[in-house]
Amino acid sequence: MASPFSTSPKTRPVPPLSRAKAGTPLYVHLPFCAAKCHYCDFFSVPDEDQDVDGMSAAILREAERRAPRSPRTVFFGGGTPSLFTEGQLAHLLDRLDALTGWRASAREVTAECNPESLDEAKARALLRLGVRRVSLGVQSLDDATLARFGRVHTSAQALRAYDAARAAGLDHVNVDMIYAAPGQSPARWESELERVLALEPDHLSAYNLTFEPGTRFHLELQRGSIAGVPEEDELAMLDTTRAACARAGLEPYEISNYAGPGEACEHNVNYWNNGPYVGIGPSAVSKVGHARAGNVRGIASYLARIGADGNAAVWSEELGPVARLGETWWLGLRLARGVEPARARATAGFEGGADRDPALEVVASLERSGHVEREGDRVRLTPAGLPVADAVGRRFLGIGR
Amino acid sequence: MDPKHIRNFSIIAHIDHGKSTLADRMLELSGAVRKRDMKDQLLDDMELERERGITIKARAVTVPYTLDGETYQLNLIDTPGHVDFNYEVEKSMQACEGAVLLVDASQGVEAQTVANAYLAIEADLEILPVLNKVDLSHARPDETAEEIENSLAIEATDAAAISAKTGVGVEEVIRRVIERIPAPTGDPNAALRALIFDAVYDEYRGVIVYLRVVDGTLRKKDLVRMLGTGKIFETVEIGRFTPKMTAAPELRAGEVGYFVSNIKKLGDVRVGDTMAIKGTEVKMLPGYREPQHMVYADFYPTNPGDYETMRDALETLSLSDSSLSFEPVTSDALGFGYRCGFLGLLHMEIIEQRLEREHDLDMIQTAPSVTYKIVKADGEEEWVYSPGALPGPDQFEELCEPIARVSMLLPTEFIGAVMQISSDHRGLFIRQDHLSPTRVQLMYDIPLAEIMYDFYDKLKSATRGYGTLNYEITGYKADDLVKLKILVNAKEVDALSAIVHRSRADTRGRATLKKLRKEIPRHLFEVRLQAAIGAKILARESIAALRKDVTAKCYGGDISRKRKLLEKQKAGKRRMRQVGDVDIPQKAFLSVLGGEDK
Repeated sequence: MASPFSTSPKTRPVPPLSRAKAGTPLYVHLPFCAAKCHYCDFFSVPDEDQDVDGMSAAILREAERRAPRSPRTVFFGGGTPSLFTEGQLAHLLDRLDALTGWRASAREVTAECNPESLDEAKARALLRLGVRRVSLGVQSLDDATLARFGRVHTSAQALRAYDAARAAGLDHVNVDMIYAAPGQSPARWESELERVLALEPDHLSAYNLTFEPGTRFHLELQRGSIAGVPEEDELAMLDTTRAACARAGLEPYEISNYAGPGEACEHNVNYWNNGPYVGIGPSAVSKVGHARAGNVRGIASYLARIGADGNAAVWSEELGPVARLGETWWLGLRLARGVEPARARATAGFEGGADRDPALEVVASLERSGHVEREGDRVRLTPAGLPVADAVGRRFLGIGR
Repeated sequence: MDPKHIRNFSIIAHIDHGKSTLADRMLELSGAVRKRDMKDQLLDDMELERERGITIKARAVTVPYTLDGETYQLNLIDTPGHVDFNYEVEKSMQACEGAVLLVDASQGVEAQTVANAYLAIEADLEILPVLNKVDLSHARPDETAEEIENSLAIEATDAAAISAKTGVGVEEVIRRVIERIPAPTGDPNAALRALIFDAVYDEYRGVIVYLRVVDGTLRKKDLVRMLGTGKIFETVEIGRFTPKMTAAPELRAGEVGYFVSNIKKLGDVRVGDTMAIKGTEVKMLPGYREPQHMVYADFYPTNPGDYETMRDALETLSLSDSSLSFEPVTSDALGFGYRCGFLGLLHMEIIEQRLEREHDLDMIQTAPSVTYKIVKADGEEEWVYSPGALPGPDQFEELCEPIARVSMLLPTEFIGAVMQISSDHRGLFIRQDHLSPTRVQLMYDIPLAEIMYDFYDKLKSATRGYGTLNYEITGYKADDLVKLKILVNAKEVDALSAIVHRSRADTRGRATLKKLRKEIPRHLFEVRLQAAIGAKILARESIAALRKDVTAKCYGGDISRKRKLLEKQKAGKRRMRQVGDVDIPQKAFLSVLGGEDK
């Protein structure tokens, strides 16, 4: 099978996954941004001279073939969906509704927005078109840090965009933040965080900055022109975030996500529950049954493949039951509520009961070392396990080997 | 070809001083290889060699070259550049009349230059100094020439100044090779004597022997006898490397070429042996000896199920490397593996990499060690091939270790430092000889284990690289030796133990734990390390538990990629063995060796 890492033009198309059942969550990837941020490894390109209508048409063509009927949740991500004009959004969302009926079916509809392209009019338009939740990329309230990140907005613009969303009547607003920026102290992060929490967002995503391979930051890190913050500081910032969010009524429900009552992002929780989903658009990934497949990462190649036969998948994988079980645990432990072993077996399609469940041996060992704990019939990370979730995850990914 | 028109020469250079590049340019100039067919460093044909930038097996190339209307046959014999392969270097030089001494003018004379130049001087070769990389802005050709004169007493004022990379000056080097290196002597009509200076194993043709005809003429179908091994072979094919193998009806005195028979194992051919026509009585060429194993190390498959595969791989490798020996061994911590004998540490590394690369084997390799001998109360003697296998102290009367007679050549200014190092390594002074006002030879008896531990590194750094050493094993001697045990989370890891002198156990224990602390990754729990003799703990270290290892973002589009990343990090741990709950990486097993961290 082709590798999801591969972006070489030699990647051959792979057969598309079968059509997902009605109700399956739907993700739509709109790959254009005002500019590429220096830390970002999602597939997105600057929108200058890009054919938005052509991309829209291709996405709709792919949706026609693959999008599930009546999706339970819809997420417009990217990229920056708010960069689309009202007319472009209306065309895309209306046609998509005609294909799937999402406006009637979806309990949660999110669009990612960036401050430079979200004003009250855009927010009203989104709401009118059926979007009920926006995720606003604020990232930092420090202008120097924003500039360092390659963001094209200021903190003042971010605050205006937040107010615009509220003024338009959006009741579910997430704010995306990044901490552990080069040179940032725990105290400075705490003050930024307090200012963000003072806005009373319904949801906060706070990500420890990661130097992802292929990003400008990664390159600069390798060259030594920037450095990450010390590990103790990162840990302190994680603690600060959890404590401050709790005070503000936002419960941590995933490693980097905090939500007010009923505000957890259902669409994303489905990923961590290792559930099925359909992704449409360049680089988008889908999981149907036990198989995953991903679309080509490229504007021209996506357009060409969709133009040819409506299939842009270039890699796919289907793991065996034990590997799926390990994956389910790894993902599930990211959630504060943790994993219910029997449900993990069912999700993974692992046949055989608790007595043959290899994940339970790992659980027992991690319980002894204090990294996971049982809460009723669930297993979850302890406060000691949370900062080393990957090391814990690797133990589960290694089962059956 | 009239021997008057033959020139046999090699290039001597320190690693990275440009030997292979110069050889490539010479081939290009001769027209033997078209430029577009050139792969950089044509002479090195193993993938590994190219990657490491070193030449493991000597190669020979014959090219025609016309100078002032006369056509010459140039035989360029490439030599390995590492002390492990000194014997092969010696033999290659014995096949030549001259050598180009290539020195990087930006680096100056270095240890290997000196060591190999001395081998060339001993082989009585005409030496042509050449200064390379003179196009670099920081080149200092005058100083380099002076260093050559001072360190080797070779006239270097008119040394050719070249850039092998750009080709500038390479023609001049060839002219000097022709004008200054003597033509081979030897009588084409005398009885055949040919020197085997190398041999390689070819999957299809069997062993290919590299030879220099010293006297007489070798013809196709001749029945030849190897004087050292006594083996008899029919000459199936002979020829020259041009640089492709090109068959020829005969090879005459002075010529260099190859010999192919139906030789199935490289072990049937010995470098340095003399080839003669069966039934003739001729004197063997000087300097032949059996390969000597200086270093032993245990290899264990990372996956115990690969044990059989490992045996097959070692058998295959020994077809093409007659210097490798191996026998089964077992360890409490690591299970079943093989104990292998090597010429030296580089040879060991090369074998290790070939096993992994050519046979796709993941292995754990223990620190190299020497073979010990125990003498029991009833006088019975037993060999101990690894420290882990040493029985308890009540099981024997004496523990003996191999002693090496070590000869070191060094500039006189370093005598004090080297004597200090030698006595620090339990050396016994034997003799001191002044070779010149500036060079001295020191002779010591030093336990071989000390030489392997870090003596060579120490010597090199104390003499700024100018000290070279040679040694031979003279026998076994009993001493107050003890087993230094290493415990990881209270569990003894036999593959990490070492046999050391009691007086040094403490220092060695601490040094080993410090290195282990660096090599063993942080775990989800604290890892405690202890060094002990019997029940007595000499040193402790601990590796704090992992504090932060978490992916910030993981959504639907990331899952497969992030999972593979985590699995890859896990795969990065492939070359680890689990002892109890602790993953111990390959490098940690080498921590019981001294020296600088690599």
